Amino acid sequence: MFSTSSQRKFWTFSDEGELAILREKHNLNYIAKHGTHIDEYQRYNFFLSPDEERLLLKQYELHLKEFCKRFSPPMPKGVVGTAFHYFKRFYLYNSTMDYHPKEILATCVYLACKVEEFNVSIGQFVANIKGDRDKASDIILNNELLLMQQLNYHLTIHNPFRPVEGFLIDIKTRCSLANPERLRGGIDEFLEKVFLTDACLLYAPSQIALAAVLHAASKEQENLDSYVTDMLFRDAGQDKLAVLIEAVRKIRSLVKMVESPAREKVRLIEKKLDRCRNQENNPDSEIYKRRMRELLDEDDVPHTGSSRMSLDTSGVTQVLSPSAS
Amino acid sequence: MDDQACPRCKTTKYRNPSLKLMVNVCGHALCESCVDLLFLKGSGSCPDCNVPLRRSNFRVQLFEDPMVEKEIDIRKRVLKDFNKKEEDFATLREYNDYLEEIETIVYNLTNNIDIVGTNKRIEQYKKDNKDIIMKNKVKIGREEVELEEILEIEKQMEELRRAEIARLEQEAKKQKIREKEALIDELMFAEGDAKDILNTFAQNKANKQEELVPVVPKVTQFSTGVKFTRVSTQPTLPLIEEGPLYKYEPLAVPDRCGPDPPSIEDIVACGYLKHVRAESETEKAGGYKSTLPCLRALQDALAGLYHAS
Repeated sequence: MFSTSSQRKFWTFSDEGELAILREKHNLNYIAKHGTHIDEYQRYNFFLSPDEERLLLKQYELHLKEFCKRFSPPMPKGVVGTAFHYFKRFYLYNSTMDYHPKEILATCVYLACKVEEFNVSIGQFVANIKGDRDKASDIILNNELLLMQQLNYHLTIHNPFRPVEGFLIDIKTRCSLANPERLRGGIDEFLEKVFLTDACLLYAPSQIALAAVLHAASKEQENLDSYVTDMLFRDAGQDKLAVLIEAVRKIRSLVKMVESPAREKVRLIEKKLDRCRNQENNPDSEIYKRRMRELLDEDDVPHTGSSRMSLDTSGVTQVLSPSAS
Repeated sequence: MDDQACPRCKTTKYRNPSLKLMVNVCGHALCESCVDLLFLKGSGSCPDCNVPLRRSNFRVQLFEDPMVEKEIDIRKRVLKDFNKKEEDFATLREYNDYLEEIETIVYNLTNNIDIVGTNKRIEQYKKDNKDIIMKNKVKIGREEVELEEILEIEKQMEELRRAEIARLEQEAKKQKIREKEALIDELMFAEGDAKDILNTFAQNKANKQEELVPVVPKVTQFSTGVKFTRVSTQPTLPLIEEGPLYKYEPLAVPDRCGPDPPSIEDIVACGYLKHVRAESETEKAGGYKSTLPCLRALQDALAGLYHAS
């Protein structure tokens, strides 16, 4: 239940300001840690600003949506929602410069598949990724534990999809609305957009679901206000109703404001990121490769067997040669 | 017993009351300290007859005559191989001949008559009857285990009975004392004839003894007659640990942070099920009912509606 969940306790924030503060904090932390050799003025040109990071993440959320849409076998909606949650949560406490969103994105989807019991093997999973698949599976498996740790192992996600079903059942049972199934199109569209906003970090899944239902109803020129005020909130006080109305209004306005970031801008940011990202976490960098090699060397026991083998065979040929001649 | 003495160090039972004579397969006795001294290395020869001996084969002499011990040893060894049973023979005559042979062998070995020949006879017998010996050994092993079990049970029963008797005796003693006191009290304070009082008390006593009598056979009966049925119950006398009794407390319903969802009965009564996929026959077998997902969806829809950031 959402009311007793870790989602409510640790991952539902009071307003957007709180999210902005968190995001700015790790951006500054990263710059402070890695920018000691660069002077004050140059820093702003070298590192990403919080706004730039935000824009980049928005772009990658779109990528995430696309990736999930094109995923084969087709992915249940719950997996997508959970992956979005993980992605947003991860970058609340981490900088894109530290961990490239491209890598975390795939890891989030992979972990979400597992948590939502959508059984896909890593081989099947990376078949959906373009480019070097072995490298991709290495990256995903390497980052999986990091991701879980950054999520504080709060892996259960309450998505708005089941609440939507609940509302539809309730509306069909208690309302006189004609053919509530026609709302589905509007609801799905709304929920798809909701995940591009911060709404899931601010509101309860049932509130988001109700906002989706109300939005879809108004698109169909129906009014479900009486259902909310007279049925759902009949026994609740006016104050609670006011809170809900405000939440629904806010969620709808967030969704209305969704727009894809300008492509040109994002490309610039990505270029900038390639220079300022933490090379220790970049699987293509020399530092990363060297570190991995060192780790491998540590567990490798020096292997002398092969050299002795070659010596032996040479001895055999020597012995054989006189008789052969 | 006082003239028991170690043939080597000449210590007698009189001089050393803790003297313990040990014998080995040759039948010659030695006191414990001499054994310790001579067989420091674990093996050596008998000081009397120079037969090589092992220290581990020494055991406490039970009989006064060491020759008896020797005979027991030999008999044990011989019977290990000569372990045929009466069933293994066609006629009683043959069985008796066989027993006679065993006795001859044991006697010969004990009294050092034709030892080489006798040993050859044993070897021959062993070779001829290898299969039967092996078979009977296994059988005997099993029988021995059973026997041991029975002995163990009997020991336990014995202990139980003794405890019971001791308890009864104690009680009887107490009872007697109490009766005596009562009689004296009665004699001191009652106003009736002293003889009458004595008579009534004597009668009471006789009555009581009659009552007591049936108790005793009960005890003996269960300790002798019903050995095997007791086995299963006795070792597993259940030890009941009385903790605090379990008390059911209804589950605390957490704050839903939203309107209350309908109960399962309401779901059925208000027609919610019309809008949920009905469960199939196979799903029913697994305990699935369409009320469950319906209730869950409604719960999820309503929980958190009051959430205020």
